[in-house]
Amino acid sequence: MIEFQFDSLFNFLRMAPHGIYIWPVYGLGLLVIGGLAIWIRYQHRQAIRKIRRIMNRESIHEPKA
Amino acid sequence: MSVEHRFLVRELKLVLARPGDFFKPMWFLILVISMVPLALSPDSKLLGEIGSAMIWVATLLALLLNADQLFRDDFVDGVLEQWLFFNRPLFWLVILKLFCHWLFYVVPLILVTPLAGMMLSVPNDVMIALLVTLLLATPALTCFSALGAALTLGTARSGILGVLVMLPLFVPVIILAAGVLTRASDGSDILPLLALLGAFSIAAATLLPLAVGVALRLNIGGSS
Amino acid sequence: MGWRWFHEWGSPKWFYDRAGRWQRVCGFLALALLLVGTLWGLGFAPADYQQGNSYRIIYLHVPVAFLAQALYVAMAVCAIVLFVWKMKLADVGMQALAVVGFGFTVLALFSGSIWGKPTWGTYWVWDARLTSMLILGFLYLGLIGLRSAIQNPDQAGKACAILVLVGVVNLPIIKYSVEWWSALHQPASFKLTEKPAMPASMWVPLLINLLGYYLVAAYLVLASMRTVILDRERGSAWVREVIERD
Repeated sequence: MIEFQFDSLFNFLRMAPHGIYIWPVYGLGLLVIGGLAIWIRYQHRQAIRKIRRIMNRESIHEPKA
Repeated sequence: MSVEHRFLVRELKLVLARPGDFFKPMWFLILVISMVPLALSPDSKLLGEIGSAMIWVATLLALLLNADQLFRDDFVDGVLEQWLFFNRPLFWLVILKLFCHWLFYVVPLILVTPLAGMMLSVPNDVMIALLVTLLLATPALTCFSALGAALTLGTARSGILGVLVMLPLFVPVIILAAGVLTRASDGSDILPLLALLGAFSIAAATLLPLAVGVALRLNIGGSS
Repeated sequence: MGWRWFHEWGSPKWFYDRAGRWQRVCGFLALALLLVGTLWGLGFAPADYQQGNSYRIIYLHVPVAFLAQALYVAMAVCAIVLFVWKMKLADVGMQALAVVGFGFTVLALFSGSIWGKPTWGTYWVWDARLTSMLILGFLYLGLIGLRSAIQNPDQAGKACAILVLVGVVNLPIIKYSVEWWSALHQPASFKLTEKPAMPASMWVPLLINLLGYYLVAAYLVLASMRTVILDRERGSAWVREVIERD
């Protein structure tokens, strides 16, 4: 029942005649989801950096208070 | 003088004090409709086929021109906060305000559409269907745009955001009205669809002011 | 026991710690499931006798389209929780879901559109499902725009909640009216998934992919929620501790 449907790797990549449609779709999927994941990670690090800056600023002012 | 009476009189006075706001949507409608033959072709048969849909879209856009102003002036003047102290539920005042807006701004605009219909050679029976669908649909559309206006009241330069936020919700009304217009140009029975449109409008006009009231409260009292 | 559960979910710190673990689990599971499911669907499922190989796009398009709608409903649930139980975490969830949901909607639109080319010959058709997906995209966009326009986070949360609830009530109405509109103007042969029953070798990978994309969405939403929590709670002691720990 489960067998590889294409007789060669080249034909798998070609997916004749629709390879030109299929692979960009999955590429887009990787781009969007991967992009979202990376962007969220980046936001996370930005947030940490921002809070750290605030903490530094406060600790500088403390001795003077 | 009851609250309602005072409300209506004040709204009427405001309309008369600002004739510009009254005429601008009509001017916009006629302008946009004039663009259609220029952009398409002067062939009156072609224009007649798409004319009703074009007028519908142009009227929609003209309505959205004023939508942002719905609560903004009262908000800035502090009048909105006084609404909380009237002896009436907030959503009832919202209904009053929206009814006034519909009566004084939207209905006059609808009354100008036959002029646009003549410019686009829209057949008479389609024109009548157009008028009826506009009269039935605009209460719902006014309520939807009021929600957009109320949600974006606090934002600085919202301008078009309230409109963008609400436009997707117009879709059922647009589709229903378009269905009526297609039937009208075919000559088939439009009454069932009109009834559906009317029912949807009534439902929207009764339920949405509640949501508008909640949204207004967010902006009047700050975050509660 | 009931009240403890309620208080835990009301506490951002508790959620931040737990979500970190859940996020990792979801991420790894998602990766595994998607690898298996996608490779199976692309390489091992038999070709469709009508559409040939192009149908393999469904292994991405269908799960993603389904999730785009499911995430909107999840936002509506968050909105209800926000109004009824006033849990701030629900607002954080709503904020995260909007961005992820929009991403999935865009993906669903593009994958559906590209699939349309070999199937119908053009990149865009105004069929019921694509049109509904487009409107869903506008609804998401409106939410994201509203959130960014209102400065006060509590107010922004409540405003977005109102918009989501009005939107979710309208969603079935919109879908129904778009289907009706589409049937009026187009022959029925334009249905995307009008197929005879699929053999197991075809729908099992579909299910695997569905689960995989669901877990991807969970991973993304949890990660985004944690970032939002850090930002919103930046004044509190536990956040300072977390920052110093790293």
